[in-house]
Amino acid sequence: MNDTNRDPAARGRLIGVLTALIILWPLFQAAQVQPGALFDPGNLKVIGNFLAAFLPPEAGHEFLGYLGIATMETLAIATAGMVLAFLLAVPLAYLATAAGREKSALNPFTRGLLTILRGIPELVWALVFVRVFGLGPAAGVLALGLTYGGMLAKVYAEIFESVDAMPARALRHGGANRVLAILYGLLPQASKELASYTVYRWECAIRASVVMGFVGAGGLGQLMDQAMKMLNGGEAASILLAFMVLVFSADGLSGWLRRAIDIPPSGRASPFGWRSLLVVLSLIGGITASFSLLELGFGELFTEDAARGISEFIVGFFPPDFSATWLARVGQGVWETLAISIVGTLLAAAVGLLLALPRSRAPFSFLLNTLRSVPELVWATITALAVGLGPFAGALALALHTAGVLGRLYAEALANAPQQPALALRLSGAGSSRAFLYGTLPGAAPQLIAYTLYRWEMNIRMAAILGFVGAGGLGQLLYFELSLFHYAQASTVIIAMLALSIAVDQSSAWLRQRMR
Amino acid sequence: MSFALDDVGLTHANGYTALSAINLQADQGERIALIGPSGAGKTSLLSVIGTALAPTAGLSKVLDCPLDITMRRRNDLKSLRARIGTIHQSPPIPGRQRVVTAVLAGKLGHWPAWKSTASLIYPMDVSGARAALCRVDLADKLFDRCDQLSGGQLQRVGIARVLYQEAELILADEPVSALDPALALTTIRLLVEEAKARRATLVASLHAVDLALSNFSRIVGVKGGRIAFDLPADQVGIPLLNDLYASEGAELPMQAREPYFVLPAAANDAANRIICC
Repeated sequence: MNDTNRDPAARGRLIGVLTALIILWPLFQAAQVQPGALFDPGNLKVIGNFLAAFLPPEAGHEFLGYLGIATMETLAIATAGMVLAFLLAVPLAYLATAAGREKSALNPFTRGLLTILRGIPELVWALVFVRVFGLGPAAGVLALGLTYGGMLAKVYAEIFESVDAMPARALRHGGANRVLAILYGLLPQASKELASYTVYRWECAIRASVVMGFVGAGGLGQLMDQAMKMLNGGEAASILLAFMVLVFSADGLSGWLRRAIDIPPSGRASPFGWRSLLVVLSLIGGITASFSLLELGFGELFTEDAARGISEFIVGFFPPDFSATWLARVGQGVWETLAISIVGTLLAAAVGLLLALPRSRAPFSFLLNTLRSVPELVWATITALAVGLGPFAGALALALHTAGVLGRLYAEALANAPQQPALALRLSGAGSSRAFLYGTLPGAAPQLIAYTLYRWEMNIRMAAILGFVGAGGLGQLLYFELSLFHYAQASTVIIAMLALSIAVDQSSAWLRQRMR
Repeated sequence: MSFALDDVGLTHANGYTALSAINLQADQGERIALIGPSGAGKTSLLSVIGTALAPTAGLSKVLDCPLDITMRRRNDLKSLRARIGTIHQSPPIPGRQRVVTAVLAGKLGHWPAWKSTASLIYPMDVSGARAALCRVDLADKLFDRCDQLSGGQLQRVGIARVLYQEAELILADEPVSALDPALALTTIRLLVEEAKARRATLVASLHAVDLALSNFSRIVGVKGGRIAFDLPADQVGIPLLNDLYASEGAELPMQAREPYFVLPAAANDAANRIICC
């Protein structure tokens, strides 16, 4: 082969693959990936017995009563948390976004605050708040409000920045102030995405509120934690079923809402019809019911006693422990957490892609939805039984849940990718798999990569807390130190989590840029 | 016989009749231009010949394969399609694909699976792709990504893919609508030369009447889903054309006239350069 016929990109690709292997190899080591453990007879027996105990699901009257209350509580925590998050997000997004500004000025202070709110996982906030308010839903609501407030604000800000800026600019040149320019120039373009994202987040909040139950914040999670600790398969099965029903109906409801936003207004002066009225009324009803069910008593927050308690508690975290020995352990935890997140995401991407490919969607969508509806932390309690405690259980748990999420997103992206190139290839005699590889995949690849990287950003936060159920990493450290009231050490771990999630955000953004 | 349509009709599922009573035969190596107003059914006719759409009436045979039987057997259909090259109106190439891969994709129907897969990692026939691109004057873009090309360049990549495929039957649906007049002429000449050299059949639908008349020996006029006339180029006169395009206003669709008549020398230069390459 002469020189001109050599592919100039080949060397770069080879180097890229080798670098990836060199980086990934120790990560797989650190995650202690041992597929063999899945088939270890001892483990198989434990998980087999446990799963066998799932049948029949517990259906005693007393238990069903508890289950009903816990389900309502979970819903209420999610809804109340979202209200708090929304109230927090709107002003923060307004401050943070460059939309509607005449000079594009970024606001580093607000952006930094958002990063901190988002960077610390809600479970950590919950764990901290439980120490202040005691066991109960108040901790969960506050934790959700803070984390999701940060997330909503960031995404709202980005949505406003991503729509066409011309209408708002024209309004501002015409003398309108910034709020009006955004309301008249940007909101009409962004409203659908904003509403759809908010509803999607509410769905996530339901899952998250289950997870927070594991640290004593009430609801289904607390019930699940007890059932798991007692290896009561029947109860666990009932709780899982209730939980899936909850997630599936939230999914259906949010789908209906998103479609309803698309219905064009009829020809009258007010753009709001009976559907909007219904939505608003049920929203108000739901929110009121949630708050009255939870009996949060935020008033106690503002008493002198509480203030002193909180400030003493907060002071306990300072100064963080930066001694060399402790830093070394935290460093190890960081590495393990990173490994869990990367291995979990890669496994999930592979499985998700396989499940996204088949053309008859129905059974696979069901499978994907089932994988997705069970939160990582619940999966972790199950995988820990299957492969033993440790990082591999965490990576597997992450992979199972994320495969459900990514599979669904991949399937949508592949369905939305331009079909023309693959069709043309089939017309020139290519088989369907080759037409897919040459025609469809290149069109969908940026989307697939972006989804995977976004998911990795979420998974690093999740990997940091999987340790709460014994799946290694930073979470395990944090859980121990908090149980032993070692706040200075815990504070170092929280800082490490924050730094890690910021670093992952940055490298994910860089990779997305590179792979566009 | 390259293809034979016998009383072929095409009615879409929504009841719209795109083609009716089409009788059209072509010998191997013939070069045919399809002309007619937009919406006349030129694309539908090419789709039926290219096995993209199954006719709902009549008998059809393409490259000696009866379509009604072939369409039912996947492998037969695949090997038939591998012998047909189609140039689409808008080039169906993913933007992130590299030019070399897009061209090599023309042979997916011929290559074994391992070769097609390996070619995604390292292009399996760089010199073949380069030769095909050279003929459309794009050899310097071999390793560029398709989203870095202009619309006209991308259209020529689509043509290079079909050249590389070495199809026995080349179908071209408005292959030069995205090209400027001089390049359009050279490209049509290139397709005609290619068909002549390899004794391939060429059927091209063209919007510009002058391009059709000056380069093709046989002209088929299509109107309202039927064949209006099927004549040698020298027997197609102005009255016939006026009749064909009666719905499109007073003027016949031509290549942008001025450059074509003012700069034939420049066009010839470009044509010669490309053919010599």
